[in-house]
Amino acid sequence: MKNTHITIIALIAVAIGAIISTYGDSSTYEGFTKAAENPDKEYHVVGVLNKEKPREYNPQLDANLFTFYLIDEQGKESKVVYRAPEPADFERSEKVVLIGKMNGDYFEANKILLKCPSKYNEGQAPQG
Amino acid sequence: MNEVQFIGERLIYGNLGHLAVVVSFGTAIISTFAYLFAANNPQEKSWQKIATAAFYTHTISVLSVVLMLFLIIRLHLFEYHYAWQHSSTDLPLEYMVSCFWEGQEGSFLLWIFWHVVIGNILVRSAKSWKFEVMAVVMMCQIVLTSMLIGVKILGYKIGSSPFELLRNAIEGPIFKQADYLSKIKDGNGLNPLLQNYWMVIHPPTLFFGFATTIVPFAYVIAGLWKRDYVGWLKPALPWALISVMVLGTGIIMGGFWAYESLSFGGYWAWDPVENASLVPWLILIAGVHVMIIYKTTGNALIVGMILIISTFLLVLYATFLTRSGILGNASVHSFTDLGMSGQLLLFMFVFLGLSVFMLVKRWKELPRSAKDEDAYTREFWMFIGSLVLTISAFQIILTTSLPVFNKVFGTNMAPPSDVIQHYNKWQMPMAIIIALLTGIAQLLKYKKNTREGLINILTQAAISIVLSAVAMFLLELKNWFYVGLMFASVYAIVANLFTMRPYLTGKFKMAGANVAHIGFGLLLVGVLVSSANKQVISINQSGMQLNPEFDAQANMEHVYLEKGKSLRMGDYEIEYKADSTEWVNNYFQVHYKKIKPNSNEVDYEFDLYPNAQINPKMGLVANPDTKHYISHDVFTYVSSVPKEKTTKFVHEKLHEVKLGDTIYTNDGYAILENINSNAKESNLDVKNLSLLIAAELKVYALNGTYSATPMYGIRENSEIKFESIVDEAKLRFKFMGVNPQTKTITIETAEQDTSGDFIIMKAIVFPWINFVWAGTIIMIVGFLLAIWRRLSENQRLRN
Repeated sequence: MKNTHITIIALIAVAIGAIISTYGDSSTYEGFTKAAENPDKEYHVVGVLNKEKPREYNPQLDANLFTFYLIDEQGKESKVVYRAPEPADFERSEKVVLIGKMNGDYFEANKILLKCPSKYNEGQAPQG
Repeated sequence: MNEVQFIGERLIYGNLGHLAVVVSFGTAIISTFAYLFAANNPQEKSWQKIATAAFYTHTISVLSVVLMLFLIIRLHLFEYHYAWQHSSTDLPLEYMVSCFWEGQEGSFLLWIFWHVVIGNILVRSAKSWKFEVMAVVMMCQIVLTSMLIGVKILGYKIGSSPFELLRNAIEGPIFKQADYLSKIKDGNGLNPLLQNYWMVIHPPTLFFGFATTIVPFAYVIAGLWKRDYVGWLKPALPWALISVMVLGTGIIMGGFWAYESLSFGGYWAWDPVENASLVPWLILIAGVHVMIIYKTTGNALIVGMILIISTFLLVLYATFLTRSGILGNASVHSFTDLGMSGQLLLFMFVFLGLSVFMLVKRWKELPRSAKDEDAYTREFWMFIGSLVLTISAFQIILTTSLPVFNKVFGTNMAPPSDVIQHYNKWQMPMAIIIALLTGIAQLLKYKKNTREGLINILTQAAISIVLSAVAMFLLELKNWFYVGLMFASVYAIVANLFTMRPYLTGKFKMAGANVAHIGFGLLLVGVLVSSANKQVISINQSGMQLNPEFDAQANMEHVYLEKGKSLRMGDYEIEYKADSTEWVNNYFQVHYKKIKPNSNEVDYEFDLYPNAQINPKMGLVANPDTKHYISHDVFTYVSSVPKEKTTKFVHEKLHEVKLGDTIYTNDGYAILENINSNAKESNLDVKNLSLLIAAELKVYALNGTYSATPMYGIRENSEIKFESIVDEAKLRFKFMGVNPQTKTITIETAEQDTSGDFIIMKAIVFPWINFVWAGTIIMIVGFLLAIWRRLSENQRLRN
């Protein structure tokens, strides 16, 4: 057997490993119900901000605590705790992606991604 | 139907621009076919003439498109959607250049422009390869210029024109008015995050890098086409090296931009958009190594060809990923979808099809080496290294492509929740292997002296163990992967320094590989130390437990900083001193004092001015500020500011005083120097006043002496009080009344409430991050030397 063949076999093995690892590490887009069932696992939850309920950020009290209510794509609502300042332009986001896990009665978000309609290009029509 | 005659539109620019786009598209088609026929019938000179004429017309028309688009932005012609969307009148000139490539159309145009530049070099230098290579380049131009055409055929939109009129792009009642243009005063402006010096030079560099990858690709196709499996390599190698150098520079510039102007705190975030540009670069580096192997041994030609082809296809794939909108929720900074994903896919499959067709057609003829590669040669280990690079790139593109798999297979996978950890787990071991191989392979040079080589390896390994052990001890590295990476990087540096010695006398251009590998080693050291020992220092150490409901240790990485009050943060004492506004940016002056450990002495002090732009479209956009020292950087950004600043006064207190008495407040004291009953105040409304008395106070505050003159008046039996505010002392004085019995007056003092004037900020110390930049620069110098060497080799062969 040639050295090159051994190398290629090793290569394929590592490539398969990479595929399995990517699959294993990948999270899934789920709702709060699923997250509540598996409180140890991190999920991506996509939803919209509930503007009726309070959105609290009191930097004087705690600069690292922001809470709000999110309605996921299945229509389930949950309180969300984010231990960082309120992201800029949060109330104008049309879609919110949370990454984190359920912690009792609230969802603990480690990361928040916002999809803002205005973020890059879609501007408002000119005022006349 | 009555057509509205619009007033004031300058349609000539757009018409010329659009015409130029159509001409460049047409000439791209003509020259592609003409070059193709010229290649097949070298005797027939007329095809060459047509091809050349078409190519030069193409060059001129592309330059015209560029000029017209720039004029539209520069002259603020907001009747054009592109100018309105991406620029505004208040932008400085350099940022107007950035507006040019903020949108998809402009960045395609940038790419087209670079292809034209490259084409003009190739028609002069490609000699016998000219027709084939140019045919491939111009074929790519057909696809690229079609992206700018912007016409609808059978309901399907082909391309998106940068010369689209605003009134056609957006619907609104305003466009029914003939003079609508006079009502559009300004454009949307440039995304504040892109208003940065690096955004002026990073995109053109990166796109030049992307554009250059077509040249080695075109040479491979040409080699297959002409059945010249050896000859393509010599002209292609310098181009491949140029591509490696420029693309690498472009990528690191993007990283530097992110570090300087984004608030995620770092230069690399494994974002899909970043990954998409890194992957072709890694594959190209692997390809260059395999090309060199083929050049010295005649082995591995097919692998080399596949890698070079893949580089270009991966550039197209990156284009598809970032521009089709498929990344969706996975990336924060891809382009907006222009509805061209079909066209982008077609772009990719046309070239994939061409490559597969050419390879399959010539597969049987391709020269293969019958003998096995000896494990004791440099080339064998270079080959292994290239494969590891390929695997590394494969792993990155695999995870980045999750949204594509979701689309194709209908799955619902999200990127790993801890992306950094996911990539590190794979990339760190591979970086270790690659760093080790750059040292070992250099020693097993040119298939000889293996014994001597082994002794060398052992000596250098010993030196590296000592050095990395010292570094490990000083930096307190605990993770075994970190220790391994530290050793491997130090070894790469040491071994390459050793093997470089013979070149230091005169033959410096031979040292390209060594220099590039040393740079790579330094880069790894920098990446390792600056991220492993990165320290978030903005953790409140006042001992106050603000919210006992939650665990105090949970990522409390932002501090609340009130104006004028200082705070201890790690080894630093910080104070938010002042804020100022310049153009659209608010700068917050944060004063840092580094305190020596175990004492209260100040080691050094400096000011940082992180800024926040309150953008009407994007809310607060934070730009960090960083203090650079040789050994570390202090990085700071403002994550939140009060929504609106209020000037409120609190702690009102009444003082009954007579002449010469002193009034004490928390922030200083004041002496009543005079009571003036004949006060004349021109600024005040003194009409119908029956009485006006002024109290003249001298105010002694911590930062100086000021005067205050509150007044008291009577108009039609009611009291009127004129307050006096001393901004510098943050005090307010009010004259409340006169007490004739005690011959005193009553003064009310109040202190300004500064609690509404604060910033929330985060600060990170990056140790030895300069290794990252220094390593990159050295690596680029290495590429330059290698390009120089290969070019002069080709020159020598020609003479």
